[in-house]
Amino acid sequence: MAPVSMKKADILVFLILVPICTYVFYESARWPKAALIGAPTLIPRGVSACLLLAGVLLLVQALRGKANELETPLVGANRRRVLLIGLLTGAYAAIVAHVGFLISTFIYLLLFGLVVGERRLPRLLLFSCLVPIAIYLVFSTLFNVPLPEGWLQ
Amino acid sequence: MVDLGLLFKGFATVLSGYNLLALVLGSFMGIIVGAIPGLTATMGIALLVPFTFGMSPITGIVMLLGIYTGGIYGGGIASILIKTPGTPAAVATTFDGYPMAQKGMAGKAIGIATVASGIGGTFTALCLTFFAPILANFALRFSAPEYFALAVFGLSVVVSLAGRSPLKGLISGALGLLIAMVGLDPMGGFPRFTFGMIELTGGFSFVPMLIGLFALSEGFRQVETIVTAPRVTAVLKDIVPKLRELGTCSITFIRSCVIGLIVGITPAIGAETSSLISYAEAKRTSKHPELFGTGILEGVAAPQTAENASTGGDMLPMLTLGIPGDAATAVLMGALTIHNLQPGPLLFRDHAELVHQIFGGMILANFMFVILGLTFARFFARVINIDRKYLVPLIFIACMVGSYAINNVMYDLVTCVVFGFIGYLMMRYDYPVSPMVLAQILGAMMESNFRRSLVMSQGDPSILVTRPIALTILILAVFTTVTAIRRQRRMAGSQTARTNST
Repeated sequence: MAPVSMKKADILVFLILVPICTYVFYESARWPKAALIGAPTLIPRGVSACLLLAGVLLLVQALRGKANELETPLVGANRRRVLLIGLLTGAYAAIVAHVGFLISTFIYLLLFGLVVGERRLPRLLLFSCLVPIAIYLVFSTLFNVPLPEGWLQ
Repeated sequence: MVDLGLLFKGFATVLSGYNLLALVLGSFMGIIVGAIPGLTATMGIALLVPFTFGMSPITGIVMLLGIYTGGIYGGGIASILIKTPGTPAAVATTFDGYPMAQKGMAGKAIGIATVASGIGGTFTALCLTFFAPILANFALRFSAPEYFALAVFGLSVVVSLAGRSPLKGLISGALGLLIAMVGLDPMGGFPRFTFGMIELTGGFSFVPMLIGLFALSEGFRQVETIVTAPRVTAVLKDIVPKLRELGTCSITFIRSCVIGLIVGITPAIGAETSSLISYAEAKRTSKHPELFGTGILEGVAAPQTAENASTGGDMLPMLTLGIPGDAATAVLMGALTIHNLQPGPLLFRDHAELVHQIFGGMILANFMFVILGLTFARFFARVINIDRKYLVPLIFIACMVGSYAINNVMYDLVTCVVFGFIGYLMMRYDYPVSPMVLAQILGAMMESNFRRSLVMSQGDPSILVTRPIALTILILAVFTTVTAIRRQRRMAGSQTARTNST
């Protein structure tokens, strides 16, 4: 898969901005009208109009080939690593409440280490075990914040 | 004017019990965060804000001030030892710091950098202490139109923070304004842009969003090229500077203090710019400009003094007017608000004791990092060698657990992850993150005061430009915007010229 260039990214941003700005106009038209509390729709609509205008300018710049160059294109193993860590972090956020902090953090740290290329398994295992326990103890005793217990409950 | 009685009481409070411990811990962590290339003071503050939530306001604030000042100073350590600035502000320290290290004078360079940072930071903290109450007292005359103008002035900073493209800075800022509108209408009380989600009626959770945008996003960036920085091999000796060495830098200290303070007060530019200007001025006014870049004490003292001298200047508009001067103070402002303290002139009137404790904390934080920096220089040098394969996952976990711990709800953790990824993509594609945060802070202030002004004038918008203070501030906002755009165009022009010539 080819890397996302700045030009493609700018066009994509414009395509994201259009529905956002349209929605602001759509929803603000349905707000209750209250004469004595200023003009509630003025600023949201004004900001949306400016945003849309900036988006159009961005699109024009991109189509005319005036988009800045990417400082370092994200390709190959680097991109794969970022995507994997993104997915792993998303999965962690989704399961931590159900599985519990200790187990999910252990798995998360272990997989994270493997994805970023750590091959010293005993060291990684020790790290993945000790960190969740240490954080759990600090939060539950020092800060009085109960972390999700999940399956261990 | 500053109340000296309250100030001394403030010193006593900061130096007592948990507050002193928090200051030591904050400074220590700040230096570590600053010393590790890729981690910034802003990130350190964002990451540790949730940990201050359970503390008393002053304990938490003192800890964050320690991280802020220590983080700005710590950037110089990596600049000297491995020619890689620990923070963006420490670029200029590499010019003479690294050559000194190559000559076997790494300890001396770190020593002078530490003392210089301490002098700059203490000077600016004293200026903050004496000038902030005067400015806040003046700001007490402000009403809704003036606050609206102030918010607009703050938003004009958005353009200044825009990095390579002002257009992208504007988009980032406008998105921040829209994000600020999510939740209940400030005057009518009806839900806006909540999509029927109860969690959104209070708006997006601010601190998890900050952690995501400033800390988790940086974590993703570190994942891109997970390499360990060059190993520190230098032996540190003669760390504590001699009086004679300090004497040779005395003029540099004074000049850099003034440069740092002025640059710090100027919206949207801070430590990074002040250190470069200060280095250039030290070289220009030196009797031996040819020695700069070869490893001389003044070449280290000038940028380090100015870097920390800009911290008080950045804090001044944030504390007195509620307008953060840069990203780090925006995060500090977020931290104050989670302790139910709204920065602005009313903070000085309603919480005078706390404000003086903050001043005391700011002054002592500068002494603290000097003591720690000189005592543990060898340890901080070793911290640079930390293995990124273990540090980066720790940052991720700290971000997520910290976000969750604020309210014990998973929604905050998800907010942090979502904004972390958004922030990472923004950084990757040149959309600056700071304008989004700044606009979110100032958006609510702008909107509510705009509408209050209209209510005051029974719908006549001319109230915004007919009051002298409001008008002056609005003119300043226009001036700031135009100057920033011109500066960026000039920078873009010179960059294009450089590209073409190569």
